[in-house]
Amino acid sequence: MLGVENTKCECGHQNSVGTVLCESCGKPLETDDLSDLPLEMRYDGVARRSQKSNPNFIDRIWNFFSSVKIAIHMIVITFLTAMLGTIYPQENTFINNFDPSVYYEETYGLPGKLYYLFGLTHTYESWWFIGLLVMIGTSLVICSLDRVLPLYRALSKQQIRKHPQFIQRQKTVFRHQLEDDEEQWSDQFGAQLKRKGYRIHRDGTALLAEKNRFSRWGPYINHIGLILFLLAILARSIPGWQMDSYVTVPDGDTVQIADTNYYVKNEKFTVEYYKDEELPDKLKGTARAKLFETKAVLYECVSKCDDQLQEPVLEEVKRHNIVVNEPLKYKGLKLYQFDFDTTPRLNAVRPVLVDKRTGETYGPFELPMKDSPLQHKLGPFTLDLYANYMEFAIGDNGEPVTLSRDPVAPAFIFTVKGPGLDPAGEPYLYFPMQKDKVKFSQDTINAAVAAKIEIRVDGMENVDFSEASTYLNVRMDRALPYVWVGAAFSMIGLLMGSYWQHRRIWLRIDNGELSLGAHTNKNWYGMRSDVATALQKTGIAVDPKSLDNGGNNA
Amino acid sequence: MGKSRKTVQIVILVAVLIIGGYAIGSALFSGKDEGPLKAGSEPPQFELADLDGHVHRLSDYKGKAVVVNFWGTFCPPCVKEMPEFERQYEKWKDQGLVILAINLSEDTLTVNNFVRRFDLHYPILRDVNRKTERSYGLKSYPTTFFINRDGSILEIKVGGMTEADIDERIERLLQR
Repeated sequence: MLGVENTKCECGHQNSVGTVLCESCGKPLETDDLSDLPLEMRYDGVARRSQKSNPNFIDRIWNFFSSVKIAIHMIVITFLTAMLGTIYPQENTFINNFDPSVYYEETYGLPGKLYYLFGLTHTYESWWFIGLLVMIGTSLVICSLDRVLPLYRALSKQQIRKHPQFIQRQKTVFRHQLEDDEEQWSDQFGAQLKRKGYRIHRDGTALLAEKNRFSRWGPYINHIGLILFLLAILARSIPGWQMDSYVTVPDGDTVQIADTNYYVKNEKFTVEYYKDEELPDKLKGTARAKLFETKAVLYECVSKCDDQLQEPVLEEVKRHNIVVNEPLKYKGLKLYQFDFDTTPRLNAVRPVLVDKRTGETYGPFELPMKDSPLQHKLGPFTLDLYANYMEFAIGDNGEPVTLSRDPVAPAFIFTVKGPGLDPAGEPYLYFPMQKDKVKFSQDTINAAVAAKIEIRVDGMENVDFSEASTYLNVRMDRALPYVWVGAAFSMIGLLMGSYWQHRRIWLRIDNGELSLGAHTNKNWYGMRSDVATALQKTGIAVDPKSLDNGGNNA
Repeated sequence: MGKSRKTVQIVILVAVLIIGGYAIGSALFSGKDEGPLKAGSEPPQFELADLDGHVHRLSDYKGKAVVVNFWGTFCPPCVKEMPEFERQYEKWKDQGLVILAINLSEDTLTVNNFVRRFDLHYPILRDVNRKTERSYGLKSYPTTFFINRDGSILEIKVGGMTEADIDERIERLLQR
């Protein structure tokens, strides 16, 4: 032991190390401080919880986080590094599968390359940034705890009769020689303060008047809110808590939302444009969208979800017409209208088979572009699907090929059997789209069989196509409610601490001599006016300004 | 009181260690599986049916040298490669080579016709709605992944290969 500091006050109270003002009578404890400047009243002069004479390892860590100075440094560093993250777009702002190692250098040159190499392209997800947030969170908890508990203790057992030095070294002071009866004057003065909303505590002729103590807890409630806020943000890294992806759904299709058990169906996408007369002159003639709407149905897979061989069993859970700013919401999942594509896509046709020799028509039959049944029976005719092509073309070797997997120029080759045809079947090439029929001269290719039969679609009602595809933004953020709760706490704390002030007035009368000191944490003007008004009502005229004892924040 | 203060300190510091450790750890960890696949990374798992309805998982082939090839009938270099893969498969299958050719979500008839035409014997897997292709971050076709016995990617070849290219890579893959 290096010798224990003497922290015992002359009033007999044993204070802990680091105490500035005696916890009991308020007498300043720093013996070398002989000035009569206003006292440092922060935390009512009590020691921080962690101030110890011989700290061990854990205490040292604790003290590090307990320091407001270090907390401020951490906050400044966080702000500065957060700024770095705004120089170039962050990786997560790109929707498509892109390669950051190439993109930044190509787009921004050497600075872009360095930006990527330093990991600033994902600043807010980087370990060191999250580390800073964790440290700020720790500091918030420890700083608050270290101060709020001693402050609570100090404020809940205040001594009414304070040391004269304590009273005279407040920032608002008043001294006066009383001519009236001491007790009577104190009663009167107390009653006046009571009307102003003060709570009065008496100890003989000593008096303590106190108002709005709760505002002292404001900063700590604010800190609780901030801690909740930070925890909620950190919780986003829990799998399944946050999601931000995109899904393309053509009209009539049902598409699985990646990484979820949900499927979304687009029953119909509509886009409406403004008419020219609705637009201002300079926009006339341009296509300005008035409404995008997706009639969406959300399904949840209930069984056979991961079975590759069977269709999943879906159950409808929600139906909503998605327009901009009115997403489909279901259990935290939100589907927003994001974009659209009005390229039509052929889904299926219902053609008929015509026997040109008799004029007889058979059908219609259902012919989807994808995964069509392999055989169609139409009266005396049998159509066996031999091959299909999504985007028909003739390859270099003269063989039919497909150029893509989307039904851009679909073609079907049937082997047709029936009356008047080769019993082994005759090939028939069928283009559902008129433009392809002409382009590839269907009738010439089909040659002889084209004179006998024809497969054709009668009328648009027998054509099923998607007029458009809708692009939806899928979002999920389970942390958001907690962020709001945190923000609400933080706001309540701020309001408590800013709109109310903790005001206290101490007074004692020794042999007719009145000593009065008053303290508040802000708005000294109001404090002085409270004191001056109460004094005036009890017959002591005083100018509020004259109560000022100097010091800062007057 | 001194004792309870110490307990509070330890409880808070341990909580910070757990929550902070998890947050920082997951930030460190998630950085690794983001971004496009490259040599050395783990290929995404898949579970796909072949033409006979047998389900194949990538994990079924752990410990074997695997070639995963994405192909479509609409892509001429893919079409050219398929019979070459067939010959390479016949050549190396006794040494444990596995070829998984994943079709790019085309319809059944198209795939069946193709496989019949070229008489292919290695498993042809059927991707559905481009799911597997997306998880592999495919940008162009064909793309072939050579996967080591330890389950890591040896090489990703984007675009067509000559038969000699395929042969040389498979030999290298089997030597590891």
